[in-house]
Amino acid sequence: MVLDWLPSVLIAVALSLAVIGAVRRVSLWRAGQPDKVDLIAGLMAMPKRYLHDLHDVVERDKYMSKTHAATGGGFVLSVVLILAVHLFGVDNQILAWALLAALVLMFVGALFVFKRRMDPPSRISKGPWMRLPKSLLAFSSAFIILTLPVAGILPEGTGGWVLTIILSVVIAMGLAEMMFGMTWGGPMKHAFAGALHLAFHRRQERFGGGRSTGLKPVDLTANDGKPEILGVSKPKDFKWNQLLGFDACVQCGRCEAMCPAFAAGQPLNPKKLIQDMVVGLAGGTDAKYAGSPYPGKEVGYAKGGPDQIITQGLVDPETLWSCTTCRACVEECPMMIEHVDAIVDMRRFLTMEKGSTPNKGAEVLDNIIATDNPNGYAPANRANWAADQNLPLMRDVKKADVLFWVSDGAFDMRSQRILRSFVKLMKAAHVDVAILGDEELDSGDVARRLGDDAAFQSLAKRNLEILSQYEFKTIVTTDPHAYHCLRNEYGDFGSDALDGVEVLHHTTYLNRLVQAGSLNLEPFKGGTVTYHDPCYLGRYNGEYEAPRELLRSLGIEIAEMERSGFRSRCCGGGGGAPITDIPGERRIADMRMEDVNTTGAELVAVGCQQCTAMLEGVVEPRPEVKDIAEILADQLIEEVH
Amino acid sequence: MSDVIRRDPRAEWIARNRLHPLHGTIAVGDDAEVRGPSGLLRKNPHKVGFIGPNGIKRIDRLKGNGAASGMGRRSSGPQEVQLPLHSVENPDFYIVVVPDLVGGRLTSQDKDILGQAHKMAKDIEGKGAVVAVCFGESKEENYDTAGVDRLIHLEGEEYEGFSPEQRLAALVQVETSLQPKHWLFPDSVNGGTDLGSRLAARLGERPAVQAWQVTHETTVSRGASQSLDITRETPRILMLLEECADAIDETRHEVKAIELDSVPRAIVQLQDQGQVAVDPNAIPLAEAEFILSAGNGIHNWDQFHETAAALGATEGASRVAVDDGFMPRFRQVGATGTWVTARVYLAVGISGAIQHMQGIGQCDKVVAINTDAGCDMVKRAALSAIGDSEEILGELLKLAQEHRANKGEEGEQNAA
Amino acid sequence: MQPNIKQSLDIVSLVSIGQHPQSGRVRRAEQDGRAVELGMNLGGDNLTVLHAGDPQEQALRTYAGMGLSSMQVLNLDTQDDAVPALADYLQQLRPDIVLTGVRAESGESSGMVPYLLAEKLNWPVVARIADIVSVEDGVAEVMLALPRGQRRALKVALPFVASVDNAAPEARQSAYGPGIRAQIEPLAAVKEEDAVRSNWSEAKAKPRPKRLKVVKAKTAAERFKAATAKPQGEAGKVLKGVPAKEQAQEIFNLLLEEKVI
Ligand SMILES: Cc1cc2nc3c(=O)[nH]c(=O)nc-3n(C[C@H](O)[C@H](O)[C@H](O)COP(=O)(O)OP(=O)(O)OC[C@H]3O[C@@H](n4cnc5c(N)ncnc54)[C@H](O)[C@@H]3O)c2cc1C
Ligand code: SF4
Ligand code: SF4
Repeated sequence: MVLDWLPSVLIAVALSLAVIGAVRRVSLWRAGQPDKVDLIAGLMAMPKRYLHDLHDVVERDKYMSKTHAATGGGFVLSVVLILAVHLFGVDNQILAWALLAALVLMFVGALFVFKRRMDPPSRISKGPWMRLPKSLLAFSSAFIILTLPVAGILPEGTGGWVLTIILSVVIAMGLAEMMFGMTWGGPMKHAFAGALHLAFHRRQERFGGGRSTGLKPVDLTANDGKPEILGVSKPKDFKWNQLLGFDACVQCGRCEAMCPAFAAGQPLNPKKLIQDMVVGLAGGTDAKYAGSPYPGKEVGYAKGGPDQIITQGLVDPETLWSCTTCRACVEECPMMIEHVDAIVDMRRFLTMEKGSTPNKGAEVLDNIIATDNPNGYAPANRANWAADQNLPLMRDVKKADVLFWVSDGAFDMRSQRILRSFVKLMKAAHVDVAILGDEELDSGDVARRLGDDAAFQSLAKRNLEILSQYEFKTIVTTDPHAYHCLRNEYGDFGSDALDGVEVLHHTTYLNRLVQAGSLNLEPFKGGTVTYHDPCYLGRYNGEYEAPRELLRSLGIEIAEMERSGFRSRCCGGGGGAPITDIPGERRIADMRMEDVNTTGAELVAVGCQQCTAMLEGVVEPRPEVKDIAEILADQLIEEVH
Repeated sequence: MSDVIRRDPRAEWIARNRLHPLHGTIAVGDDAEVRGPSGLLRKNPHKVGFIGPNGIKRIDRLKGNGAASGMGRRSSGPQEVQLPLHSVENPDFYIVVVPDLVGGRLTSQDKDILGQAHKMAKDIEGKGAVVAVCFGESKEENYDTAGVDRLIHLEGEEYEGFSPEQRLAALVQVETSLQPKHWLFPDSVNGGTDLGSRLAARLGERPAVQAWQVTHETTVSRGASQSLDITRETPRILMLLEECADAIDETRHEVKAIELDSVPRAIVQLQDQGQVAVDPNAIPLAEAEFILSAGNGIHNWDQFHETAAALGATEGASRVAVDDGFMPRFRQVGATGTWVTARVYLAVGISGAIQHMQGIGQCDKVVAINTDAGCDMVKRAALSAIGDSEEILGELLKLAQEHRANKGEEGEQNAA
Repeated sequence: MQPNIKQSLDIVSLVSIGQHPQSGRVRRAEQDGRAVELGMNLGGDNLTVLHAGDPQEQALRTYAGMGLSSMQVLNLDTQDDAVPALADYLQQLRPDIVLTGVRAESGESSGMVPYLLAEKLNWPVVARIADIVSVEDGVAEVMLALPRGQRRALKVALPFVASVDNAAPEARQSAYGPGIRAQIEPLAAVKEEDAVRSNWSEAKAKPRPKRLKVVKAKTAAERFKAATAKPQGEAGKVLKGVPAKEQAQEIFNLLLEEKVI
């Protein structure tokens, strides 16, 4: 072949540029803060994580998962073989045939990518991403032609130098996208960063079907109790592997499609947020971003750099405060990016350094600090709701089978109905249960999600201190937010108060009682019932079944909403969002109620006081809203003595 | 007007004094219910009710509130009662009261404090006279029945408007000429606290503020944002809370004028620029004292705004009205809006969701206009009108406009 | 609204240790926080935030958290009187404006501190201000807070003492980070024991008896009326099936009765 050195040179050049790019990219990540990860073990585990954890998520979109397997698999295989065949010139027909097969696989995959891109859904980004299928096709077809002679299908030198030149241009294009683009910020960057992100993920526990949802504590003891900076103000304040994670985003927009705040027209789009983080870590503007904007905000004006304060020019604080921390985005992200961690990290800076928690935020935090509850009620009145409940106090009994964690619903008349129903059920099942009374404090959930980790840690430590004085086997709570804190976040504070203690949501516990036959219930005779999964019960803790089983035990056939289970849509009540109350076009709760309405349900069962409040905040007429404890208590056949 | 109801200070005093032998027969209200050791509410049947005029015990299950229902009904004709005159010749000592005189009239707090002054005077050896020092224009006609034995009335442009420095100079003059045993000021935002504090600082006296239980010997006053009762020897200068004592109502007093030697002109460092006209709608919601609030049940928004303007009310809104874009966000009342403290909260077409109710917890009188008699707002309201908001607001608007017109005329007549 | 400041100002905001009304826990006092806020809006960097008491008190950090780089604390023991120490310090510092709260949230809450300081310094004192609108040629224009959201404008020459009302702009949020980093500088102070106070006795506030409405009914008819009328306090009056005109009249009467129009 004439000029047959050209392809190899091109490959070598592309490869070396890719390496330079990679080094540069890595240095961008390394601007972040250190984080402990086992690099070797991570790299070793990476292929498995790719094949299992990542593909489990991708698999939810069957079309895309097959396409990606073909294109991605074909590409990885091709690159290895191309290096052998075309760069090192290994003259082996078998290798060449294998390469051809890989390239054809990639070509077919790329065709499907192309097809998907003909009429893309609004959630996926356009721009350079529209070019990707063409580059993929160019790359695979050019190398197919180039490989044909090696495989002996075509005679050497076919086509002469004209063909070689044309071929070389196409190869250059393909290589530029696939190699150069991979490390210099093109769409293919996702493969490079994505692979490393899987290896060095900040939450290694998530792989292999694990769940890791608790927020990481801020180190308040650094620098002699006076940390230089609290939370994340600049991109370089993120941990290095968080930065790496942002870089892995493929702009598929699955997060955007799931985000309740986005749907409500609040100025938040998780995909854009992650892309802005990429702008921040690399420096520049968002002018090239080609996806949906933050609702109500134009693209092109955001600017940032690793050393620039994020909330001054890159991301509007309103964007961060719109998030309900529902984790729908995280659950859906094929690249396993942690949006909520990033959002709360930046909120921490806004609250603990700038003192700019919007709306009622400051007041609520002051109340939490001064009275251990968000509404500033007298702490001594915490147990007033139970005055007629004849519930033993831990202070008196010291020991009980079950500790009922009441949570701040104690101060709220509506939530008290849930509490009383639960107590009624516990009594009917003769459970040895006690409460902490006014020794209980707010769990710190709201403070933490609003970014005040100092207030959270203070509450957590004081709660743990109190818990450590008593003996119990199980904690049960009707509040999924407290449940999450107790179960997933209190472990970071070096207390043994919860060692060997099972922390359960009331639906889980009640379900055990029902399954054990301890509760005598009569079948439910009302109309259609649907069930709303609270985010902090479902996505945060994986409890989807117990509430449903309970409803079924009453003979209820649940009319499921389209978005239920791990895809449940948030009620809008999490993450302090009702407190910061960033305006949008709609209310998240109204959208959720529409979801309910499409099932034709007359009653929506929930397992959370906050969801109850949010859904009942929707103007009437609307279906009734009841906690599962209330529904069960209504069906309880009380023993006659 | 309502001569039917007259308070009996003796009975009230007995009711308050738990050691009085007749206490048990008179006390009504809170004392009838006591929390027992187990936390249960216990009723003391002996403490319920009062003795009627014919000596028969009557149980007033309304805790006295029923009396107010006599409103609007005139009795067959007022009987002028000539109260006995209480006169003090050559008093041995003086107790000086400096009333707020809001709008030229004694406030109920002023009257309570005059009562307090007499209470103290009675217990101190010798004959005491209660002196009122009044500044500026006075429209008060009943100094006599309010308990003013002596009146120092200081008028003139130097006392008009905001003039604490000149007033202080006058009080210092009173101090030198009368050497009062006690100085009593209303502890109020209407000037009493300010003037009292100035005098105390000038005379180097340590005053008791927020005093509420005072004899000539000991004073109980509130401290630490109302959470503490401080008991001490009664000082010379006192600033007293509302209802510290009962107003005078069974005697008449002389209201003899005392002329002061000329009061020196004070150096005025605080130059009054006058009261600033504040648009009721510009008053921060949290400070407003009359709020007209709109909810999802308002369909004629122009009418709503017009009514608010005519009534001079500050506008509020429910979240739905805000979400739907009819009202700005800073008007929202409730958990995620403003917590208001209005004395009157008129809720039009608001259902009374718990988050909204949280915001009006501190409101005195809630009035509801709603089509649904069963809604929570109606349950909370002192007065509810069941009907269409537009219709009722329309009528209210007319009334307000008529009222304005009448007032305008009256003003003109007065001016004439 | 940005105040119109035409000269450099030295401002001192005096702060005390607040007390939460529900929990009794120490905190940033509401009004003192507003005094700091006003000081920050007016004085920018020339603001001294001053406390007389224990420099170790953690609640001071909640003021610092508003973004102060440092705070001055006149080191006093609990039984010491704050006024002599403050007066002595201010005498030396000679600021233009001294801002305080109206009443402290703990202790005697007499509200006398601004008056006593003014008397000692021989400065004018303005009580319950809502804002300082402008300072020009040594004269400040001040807004006094009157009841019901009303305002009175006032001019006063510097230097002066002012107490800040609840109507003044709310104190900005206190942030943890700046709060723990701020420098708290203890200063030696004039100590005078508050001897008068030691003779007082203090107790938790008793609920005040509500004034009784004593019914002095003279005739049976009046008694009957009193007994059958619907009490106003408990369940409200509901006008249903009544012409709108009458309903409006009834509402209007209530408004008149409550003196809001
Ligand atoms: C976290 C959270 C926070 C919230 N915070 C707030 C808050 O701060 N403030 C707030 O207000 N809400 C708040 N809400 C919303 C609250 O739950 C209610 O949805 C809202 O208060 C209802 O407003 P509304 O009474 O105007 O509307 P609706 O509930 O629709 O009530 C309308 C009322 O008008 C009456 N009506 C209808 N037509 C007429 C007519 N022609 N004439 C007279 N009456 C008529 C109806 O009978 C009904 O009672 C919050 C909700 C949540 C979940
Ligand atoms: S956590 Fe929920 S609200 Fe927040 S960005 Fe993700 S999807 Fe949106
Ligand atoms: S963050 Fe994840 S889900 Fe969202 S666009 Fe990027 S890759 Fe897709």
